[in-house]
Amino acid sequence: MPTAVPSAHAPASEAQLLAEAQAGSHTAFATIVHEHQAMVFGLALHFLRSQAEAEELAQDVFLALHQNLSHVQSARHLIFWLRRVTSNRCIDRVRSSHRRRELPMDDLHEPHISPRLKDPLLEELLQSLVGELAPDARIVVTLRFQEDLDLSEIAAIVDMPLNTVKSHLRRSMDALRRKLADRGHVYES
Amino acid sequence: MNLEQELRRALKRKDPPRGFHDKVLSRIAAGETVPTPATIRRWPRVALPVAASLMLAFGGTYYMHWQQERQAREQLAQSEHAAREVVLALQIASEMISSTQAKIEEITRHDATNTQ
Repeated sequence: MPTAVPSAHAPASEAQLLAEAQAGSHTAFATIVHEHQAMVFGLALHFLRSQAEAEELAQDVFLALHQNLSHVQSARHLIFWLRRVTSNRCIDRVRSSHRRRELPMDDLHEPHISPRLKDPLLEELLQSLVGELAPDARIVVTLRFQEDLDLSEIAAIVDMPLNTVKSHLRRSMDALRRKLADRGHVYES
Repeated sequence: MNLEQELRRALKRKDPPRGFHDKVLSRIAAGETVPTPATIRRWPRVALPVAASLMLAFGGTYYMHWQQERQAREQLAQSEHAAREVVLALQIASEMISSTQAKIEEITRHDATNTQ
């Protein structure tokens, strides 16, 4: 399960933090970066499959946030904004560069994981297969399983009709099951 | 374990490399800016329907204009053809009148000669 996914109602301290950052507090903004960097970097990394590109993109997202902080209405809106801008920039980057294939991911720091439950080869395979999906489908799958969002939330973030999101997810899952089955990993639908 | 659970595990959040936080703050302190993100993905999504609408509008206008021109050309050709036929009819009528007039004059002359 994703860690520290914000609940529907953000705590008052997050609202306070946002208000302080909007008032010009660098410390408050630094705390916001620290709290959300794993979400932004994770989305970018799973989408781009390149640590360097994901880091650069995540930095750009926080720079954009700093520039647009006055437009953020609430702590909940902040999270929506970060997810939307990260998703848009990921898709934009892939479309502009036409890059389809991933680079290896090394030296990743993966917090909050119980080592006994890990299967690094399967994780790597799944990440690689998700990285091969078309950009729109890839962002839907990444938001669904990294952020544990429901389909209507994903539709709002990526600005797609709900049925398109459902279709992307269903087709992606079918494709992933087929490709995994080819490699000896069989999952029921 | 099902595929959904495996995907949640594989696609969990990841902490960025050490120093990420400081790099962001350094770029902000240096006054660096990035393009405003609001319209980044709007264009491709909007561009296709707008382009399609424009093509339909221009295509429709061009087709209507072409149809009107074709009709005008056809009408002009029909008018020219009708005019040519009228001229031809007038020429035939004129020749018939001339011929008839010549015959009348000949008969008149013949009658006058017989009378003398």
